[in-house]
Amino acid sequence: RRRQRECRADPAASSTAASSTRARCITDVRADAGSTTFLAGTLSLKEENEVHLIRLLPGENELVCDGLFYHPNEIWDLKSCPFDHRLFSTVYTSGEGYGASVWKIPELYGQSNSPQLEQLFMLDDHTDKIRCVLWWPLGKHDKLISIDDRNIFLWNIDPSNKSAKVISQGSADMLPNLRGGAWDPHNHNAVATITDSSLHFWDLRSMKRSNAIEHAHIRDVDYNPKKQNIIATAEDEFGIRLWDLRMLKHPLKDLPGHSHWTWAVRHNPEVLERIQLSIYGWLKLALMTLDPKALLVRPLGKKNHYCTRILTTKIASMELHGAPMIHRCLLLCLMMEGLF
Amino acid sequence: AKLPKRTPRLSPLRSTPTTSDLPGVQAPLQPRREMATTVGDAPTAMDEKARRTRDLLASFYNTDPAAAGAAAASPARPSPTAATASPLESINSTSFNPDVYMDVLVQQSNLEALLQRHVKMAAEIKNLDTDLQMLVYENYNKFISATDTIKRMKTNIAGMETNMEQLLSKITSVQSRSDTVNTSLFNKRENIEKLHRTRNLLRKVQFIYDLPTRLNKCIKAEAYADAVRFFTGAKPIFEAYGDTSFQDCKKASEEAMDLVIQQLQAKLYSDSEPIEARAEAVVLLKQLNFPVNNLKSNLLEKLEDCLLNLQTEPTQASVGDISKTFRAYLIIFPDSESRLIELAHALFTNRYETVRGALKERIPSTDLLAMLRGLWEDATAIDEVISEAALPAFSLETTRDIIKQHIATAFLHLQNEISDVLVTHSTSNEKLEESQLQTAMEKSKIKVSQGCIDLLQEFRHLIDGNTELLVKLKDLIIDWVQEGFQDFFQKLDGHFHLLSGRSTGFSQESSTVDFVQIDKVPTVLVLMLAQLCVFIEQTTIPKVTEDLADSFSGGGARSSEYGPPFVPGEICRLYRSSGEKFLQHYINIKTQKISKLLNKRFSTPVWLKHKEPREVNMFVDLLLLEFNGVVSEVKQILPGLIRRHRHSDSTGSTTSSRSNPMREDMLNRSNTNRSRSQFLENHLAKLFEQKMEIFTKLEYTQESVISTVLKLCLKSLQEFVRLQTFNRSGFQQIQLDMEFLKSSLKEFIDDEAAISFLLKEVNNAAHERCLDPIPLEAPILDKLINAKLAKIKEQSANM
Repeated sequence: RRRQRECRADPAASSTAASSTRARCITDVRADAGSTTFLAGTLSLKEENEVHLIRLLPGENELVCDGLFYHPNEIWDLKSCPFDHRLFSTVYTSGEGYGASVWKIPELYGQSNSPQLEQLFMLDDHTDKIRCVLWWPLGKHDKLISIDDRNIFLWNIDPSNKSAKVISQGSADMLPNLRGGAWDPHNHNAVATITDSSLHFWDLRSMKRSNAIEHAHIRDVDYNPKKQNIIATAEDEFGIRLWDLRMLKHPLKDLPGHSHWTWAVRHNPEVLERIQLSIYGWLKLALMTLDPKALLVRPLGKKNHYCTRILTTKIASMELHGAPMIHRCLLLCLMMEGLF
Repeated sequence: AKLPKRTPRLSPLRSTPTTSDLPGVQAPLQPRREMATTVGDAPTAMDEKARRTRDLLASFYNTDPAAAGAAAASPARPSPTAATASPLESINSTSFNPDVYMDVLVQQSNLEALLQRHVKMAAEIKNLDTDLQMLVYENYNKFISATDTIKRMKTNIAGMETNMEQLLSKITSVQSRSDTVNTSLFNKRENIEKLHRTRNLLRKVQFIYDLPTRLNKCIKAEAYADAVRFFTGAKPIFEAYGDTSFQDCKKASEEAMDLVIQQLQAKLYSDSEPIEARAEAVVLLKQLNFPVNNLKSNLLEKLEDCLLNLQTEPTQASVGDISKTFRAYLIIFPDSESRLIELAHALFTNRYETVRGALKERIPSTDLLAMLRGLWEDATAIDEVISEAALPAFSLETTRDIIKQHIATAFLHLQNEISDVLVTHSTSNEKLEESQLQTAMEKSKIKVSQGCIDLLQEFRHLIDGNTELLVKLKDLIIDWVQEGFQDFFQKLDGHFHLLSGRSTGFSQESSTVDFVQIDKVPTVLVLMLAQLCVFIEQTTIPKVTEDLADSFSGGGARSSEYGPPFVPGEICRLYRSSGEKFLQHYINIKTQKISKLLNKRFSTPVWLKHKEPREVNMFVDLLLLEFNGVVSEVKQILPGLIRRHRHSDSTGSTTSSRSNPMREDMLNRSNTNRSRSQFLENHLAKLFEQKMEIFTKLEYTQESVISTVLKLCLKSLQEFVRLQTFNRSGFQQIQLDMEFLKSSLKEFIDDEAAISFLLKEVNNAAHERCLDPIPLEAPILDKLINAKLAKIKEQSANM
């Protein structure tokens, strides 16, 4: 149940700007080096669903809607392709089942009136509910991972030929309900997956699980893009925790502060590797500052005036104030605020 | 040769008369004239005259004419230039020029003056002549008398030689007589000396023959010192001539000496003898080259045995004896001190060890104190004898250690007891009866506070004693007690964390074990720990602080540098944060459990094919059961209701949503298109104004904890609902369940507004995720709920 009014500031798309839909997922378009753009997918049972391409105007701290694309189903997961800014993947419901596809954004010739998305291929070998699709986070890689309730699939994709083939498949036999995961940016063959009560690490060559973090109700996981072996998890009870993959018995650090489930956690991919954002369901943002020496937890709004401002202006205006270097993450965060 | 020299000198004077045109003046008189002129030149100056005479004589006797001339010229004679300036004055100088003199005189003076000068000069010359004659005469006289003296000496010396020869002959005869006497007496003297030597030897032999009897006599008289003296005197002789005729004698005396030695040993060993006598015996034995060291070690070993016996069966009276013995030995064997020190040390080390052993079991402070005091007294007693052993310092140090250990063990015991009480009560059986938890809680509270008070009581004994020992240690003890409490509370906190199973941050080793058992940690225990933390913070620590201030203030040396060792503020903070953590942990455990239940409920059924709701779902029963469990635990352990109208705060903001949720929903739905933006604004407003308030600050009250758990669970419920897609029947089922929960939860909580708001949120979420959201009609809803209530009633009646 989320609300997104990102297009409001865009005069070109003013006709659609008033539409308010709910979204569960937003992703930054990492492949687009020239500008700060995001893709968001809506989640609406009764209305048409859309994928929004949102751009942050660099000078003006304003959001514009660069594209609005019709999507046939409710979008539960959306990931942008890290090497081609026009590619992205969605996981969606289709009737009682789930589906996953990779899409291509058509060329925009000045007009933004809902051109059709080009569906490159479907990831349709799944028998259970698909939960998420993972791209390898750093640059070009011809593989894709999709995770459903019980299995993890490794695909070989060829966007130019619009084809995808399953290379291998791993089964989480006794594990209940895979939920999601993350692909290690330091290692093509390492993937972490989340279940209801644990986190498992997979080796994609053998499709076998190696070690695990048990007894943790993890909602999201993210590999530190700069430091190998460090991951951050977002959990129901503990907020955010940092782990060293070589010592999984105890977390490196607890970063409490959230009062209910923490839904998502991301490392800042760019300049400030120390800043981490997490989102939880109660319309609060927390900006976590990870200092190598002392881990400080700073609730947003105490020190960073722009965040306070954003909260008090109630999202609707979508104005951003403050240092541009963290915009990408801030925005990401803002979009996901609707996750309550 | 001198006379011709004199002549030229006078020659210028002589020329003067010639130039003065006086025909009466004869040549031999010329010097006199000259002299007269000089006198006439200075008629008044008589001493001037005498000086001139002396000068003249000097120049006469002087061999060097130049030097004489210089000497004569230097005193008062004017220089040549002066002479030219006043030629009249220069008559006595060597550079006297008669012509110039005459010219000047003639020029300057008239006739009458010239005549006067002439008369004066003639008189002067006459005077000088007389003087000269007198001088010659005197010298001649002296020469005559010298000649006479020499003549007399010649006549006197002639008779002396003969006398000297007579003296020599007499002395030679005396020398020869003395030699003859000496040779005639030599033989006799030799004899006398030999006889004297023999006599001495005989006396010695006699002494040695007498020695045995004398020794025996000495033994009888117990004059061992004399005996030893005699024997040592005779010993060299025995050594030299022992094999000859002295054999018997030697044997006899040696036997006697053996007897002496035996007697001496006996004396040494017997404790009844006076110490001085024993010491003397040792000295004597040493003089006899008897191996005293063996004796000493024997004796000391005996002492050691004796001491060991003392340790095994401690009798208080014997310490005095020991000190006496020590003193005796110290006097007897002055060199045995180090050994004795060792012995004393061993003795006390052993005794302190036994005390330490006793310490392992918990003993009351008074007992310990009695033991330590006894030991201290003993130590001082022995210290009087051998102060070098530094026994008081040693025992002070040991006592310090022991007391420190005692304090530490006391704290450890208390900690263990507290933890025992907690663990046994909370884990004994799953289904605790109503009051049991409460009593357990009370018990552990009492245990903590009583334990602390008891400990303080114990420690007070330690510093109340006015023994010297304790006075010395008082400051230290105060420090230890304070430190002990600080440490104890910190450790207890750590232990609590360990018990609670959230010990991950505390000790890595032990937590590896506990981590596995995390799920097994009884939740009650966590709650009890939380409450106990509060109790400690609010009751125990102030009490302890007060007591410490009463009896253990002041404190030791370090307090000035580091501040007092016991910092109640720090401990309070520690416990406050721990208490909050435990409470949070408790809530986490509970919500996690319920969350699992909810997860199962929402992930298992296929909601899109849900059938029409016929009754309230089972999971609501389970949910209520869990809540009941929480409530009963919390009600027993946490403090009861403090009626504050807390809920009135939230009612204000939620009035609208609470007034009639169903209708509002309908309203919203019907007006979706028209007032979407308004709806959004409303919704946003609701988000910001209300949701923020849902999670109020956690407090240590039943209500706060229960409502927090409830709110968290309902919030989770809402999140689960959001993840699903429902058909109409599914939605209606949720609606029914929530409606029932609403009525059932009222009894748990007073913050009704928040709960009903949350329930409505769940309903809204289901509504949004529903393909065909048509709610149940009110009568059907009521009917189903009533049916459920009736069923519950029936069940409870059957029970």
